[in-house]
Amino acid sequence: MAISLKENITVGFSDFWSRKVRSIITVMGIVLGTMSIIVVLSLVKGINNQTMKWMMERGGLSKITVSRNWQYDNPGHVKNYFTWKELKLIHSLIPEAKYFNPQQRRWERHSYEDKDFRTSSRGVLPDFSKIEEWDVQEGRFISSFDIEQSNDVIVIGTKVKEELFGNKKAVGEVITVSGRRLRVIGIMAFRYMKNSGAIGNDNAFSYLNRRTFVPLTTMIHKGGATDKISSFTLKAQDVESAPALREKLSNIILNLRRGLPVFEVESAKEEAEEMAQNQKMFQMIFYIISFISLLVGAIVIANIMLATIQERTREIGIRLTVGARRRDIFIQFLVQTILVTTIGGILGIVVGLSLLDLVSNFLGIELIAGISMIFVALMVSAGVGFVSGIVPAIIASKLDPVEALRYE
Amino acid sequence: MSDIINIKSMKKEYRMGKITVPALNGVDISINAGEFVAIIGPSGSGKSTLMHIIGCLDKPTDGRYSLNTELVSEMKKGKLAQIRNKQIGFVFQTFNLLPHLNILKNVELPLMYAGFSKKKRTSTAKKVLKEVGLGDRLKHKPSELSGGQRQRVAIARAIVNNPTIILADEPTGNLDTASGGDILSIFSDLNDKGHTIIIVTHDPAVAKRANRVINIVDGLIQDGDIS
Repeated sequence: MAISLKENITVGFSDFWSRKVRSIITVMGIVLGTMSIIVVLSLVKGINNQTMKWMMERGGLSKITVSRNWQYDNPGHVKNYFTWKELKLIHSLIPEAKYFNPQQRRWERHSYEDKDFRTSSRGVLPDFSKIEEWDVQEGRFISSFDIEQSNDVIVIGTKVKEELFGNKKAVGEVITVSGRRLRVIGIMAFRYMKNSGAIGNDNAFSYLNRRTFVPLTTMIHKGGATDKISSFTLKAQDVESAPALREKLSNIILNLRRGLPVFEVESAKEEAEEMAQNQKMFQMIFYIISFISLLVGAIVIANIMLATIQERTREIGIRLTVGARRRDIFIQFLVQTILVTTIGGILGIVVGLSLLDLVSNFLGIELIAGISMIFVALMVSAGVGFVSGIVPAIIASKLDPVEALRYE
Repeated sequence: MSDIINIKSMKKEYRMGKITVPALNGVDISINAGEFVAIIGPSGSGKSTLMHIIGCLDKPTDGRYSLNTELVSEMKKGKLAQIRNKQIGFVFQTFNLLPHLNILKNVELPLMYAGFSKKKRTSTAKKVLKEVGLGDRLKHKPSELSGGQRQRVAIARAIVNNPTIILADEPTGNLDTASGGDILSIFSDLNDKGHTIIIVTHDPAVAKRANRVINIVDGLIQDGDIS
């Protein structure tokens, strides 16, 4: 003879509607709470996604980068660069590396006919294209033959092509780079990634389109660059083996530099993991703050429910008189509180989701909502209802029928 | 005919802090099925306490009370709720309807706690409301009805579960003479149909409708029951 949950929910709904204004005000805290859960979690996911996308675009998770450690104050007696000979040694010690690319850079003036374009030029090996997963859209990239022969060739970005050649054909033409004549053999594919949070330029990769690439040997032997190379990139066979390769490479370099951390060796996979860890911490802090504010919300709701129960003492007495058991009264008020907070939670989710575009435009970051966060918000709002409803429901169920009936 | 209510040396005391206030001082009552009984007495005599105990809303401090051969004075509170639901129908002076529910829902309430299906509840409640002459007001809220009509809703709610006894506490106290008379006629009709009716009142005119009057003063039944 118990009354069913469905029955209780129906009763709860009619109670909710007969006290609309109060119900809405009661759940305002829950609405705001779940709304911020949706917005902040979407923001975290959006930022994470953006960074991950950037990593994938810049060579993926099996990429390893060696660069000068700017945080290390070099006493000066150890070299903060690699010689060509050292690089050959390092490469021979890590045969498991799939691709290997030392690079050198120079700021150059690129001229064609009457046009000039100043930009950063990179001296690279053919592996550069493989590591970055970036190929030419026209012509060809630098070959190992170009490296052996120190050929006078250049591959240019789309922006460079546009500036120097406009709509004219570029591949096969000869341009002057700081006085040397180099033949254009290819044009790199156009790169684009939506920029977050920037005003004006919306392409986060526009700097890549401005670059030019020459054989590393050409740059060192003919282009006036030194053979002091301070950075190189490589790629492991797969993502799983990247951390081990990074570890080995790091030890090799430390041995070459008397154990001093002159260079930094980073694997994209570990960076991604670190990022995920930071994100978890950020989420944790957010959860703690939400927990405190929801606790405050729960106390407010408990207070309102206590007042409601006092106001409805007579009703409880009547229900007890016509045969309601304590359990029925307990469930009625608990279900009702959970219902109220869940409705608040659903409202908060709807408001939160509809705010995503607005926040996204305001911050310039893509916000990504997920089923899991909707689920979390829903569970949290129901949980708040449970926590704040249980004490008032117990009090309601313990009322004495005679006294409750007398209550004015 | 066997007695439906049997009360032996029943006592009830209330504790007000350190003081114990006696309300019933050893009451013996026996009521047969199909009787129409009025319990009268001045205020403070213990008649409300007696009614609460007969109605299973309260438990005696001492003594035995059996209803329909079941010893209710020894029952747990959960079981008493079932007794209230199935065996007793209440009618109060102040009607005690739920103001935010329409009258159909009010009458359905005991059936809901008895666990009947929605369909069964609605049809039974409609039938009973028709019997008390309110078949065309089903969707009205109690506040949209007159006092007499509200009391008829309360009677409908009291009889909807087909209880053994109907307990009425000053049922005409808030009504004018005409509608009070109507309500009393309904009780007489119900009694004719076989319902056992107990009315608590201080109004001798109301008591006249009953077959028997039980007079209670200072927590004791007075001699001279009118049979």
